[in-house]
Amino acid sequence: MIWLAIILMTLVVFTSRYLFLEPKLPLKLNRHARGILAYSSAAVLTALWVPLVFIPEGELNLKLSNPYLMAALVAIVLAKATKNVLLTTVLSMLLFFGLKQWLG
Amino acid sequence: MDLDSQNDLGASRWRELLKGALAVTPLSIAVLPWGLLAGSFALESGLDVFQSQAMSAIVFAGSTQLVACGLFKAGASLSTMLLTTLFVTSRHLLYSLAMRPHISKQPLRWRVLLGFLLTDELFALCGKQKPEQFNRWYALGAGLWFYLCWNAASLVGIVAGAQLPNLQELGLDFAVAATFIALVIPQVKSLPVLAAVLIAGVASLVFELIELSGGLIFASLLAMVSAYLLEKAQQAGRGR
Repeated sequence: MIWLAIILMTLVVFTSRYLFLEPKLPLKLNRHARGILAYSSAAVLTALWVPLVFIPEGELNLKLSNPYLMAALVAIVLAKATKNVLLTTVLSMLLFFGLKQWLG
Repeated sequence: MDLDSQNDLGASRWRELLKGALAVTPLSIAVLPWGLLAGSFALESGLDVFQSQAMSAIVFAGSTQLVACGLFKAGASLSTMLLTTLFVTSRHLLYSLAMRPHISKQPLRWRVLLGFLLTDELFALCGKQKPEQFNRWYALGAGLWFYLCWNAASLVGIVAGAQLPNLQELGLDFAVAATFIALVIPQVKSLPVLAAVLIAGVASLVFELIELSGGLIFASLLAMVSAYLLEKAQQAGRGR
């Protein structure tokens, strides 16, 4: 049962990743569709991180004592200023764990 | 083709492969704690060692793995698991659609390989590239290196499992948030992209708070369409 579930999950995940890469799928992306999809990376990645940061423990937390929020704000500034993924990630993580120790 | 130009071709493939691996390294590091968690949580949910590793090796989707483990633990039915998987994984449909111009003309083995490797992280690197900038060796280098790191971390999680302290309470999810921030913010160079980010952020928050299933996808689509409409409005404004 567990193996069956693992295999079926694999199929569902792979299908969703592969589906539109298949050239035989009769689908032509017009100018508008491509224009909309150009924003997919910015939109999806944002929709992935924002809830993690603002709702760390099941409820909205906009307080200064929310280490996720504070470290994320610093990460935004660092990313804007340096455009360096590694530096931004490492520095903001250090700050996050520091804040967590200090506040928690 | 003479030998020299063949060597050049081989060298440039290696260069792209390594470039991709290097580009994904920060993301691979940030995901290590998640991989540990995916491994130890799988074991804790009643899967055996092989099943736990198979989750990372063949399902290869962090959020799906963690949710599925929760469902295994709760003794959920197969249909519940598959429906949940479909919801959690639906954003990959968007990735494959966005990557269609880049990958659909590649031979089958490349499509299957890159499709299998098409995670949030690979999309974060390649999704912003124009189809003519896309290099399959670069994408492969990034995808494979990320795959290896994810599986190595899961293995450590499985082996060390019980000895690890309360991983879930450490707040390791911040690492993932930080990499996504680091990847998205430099993309914000125009008003429509800024609008996409702000709308996706607010909408994902609202949908999460009202516990809408598939909120991630709805928030993303809303943001994408709004940004595109804004882009068109700007063009029309300039045209007058």
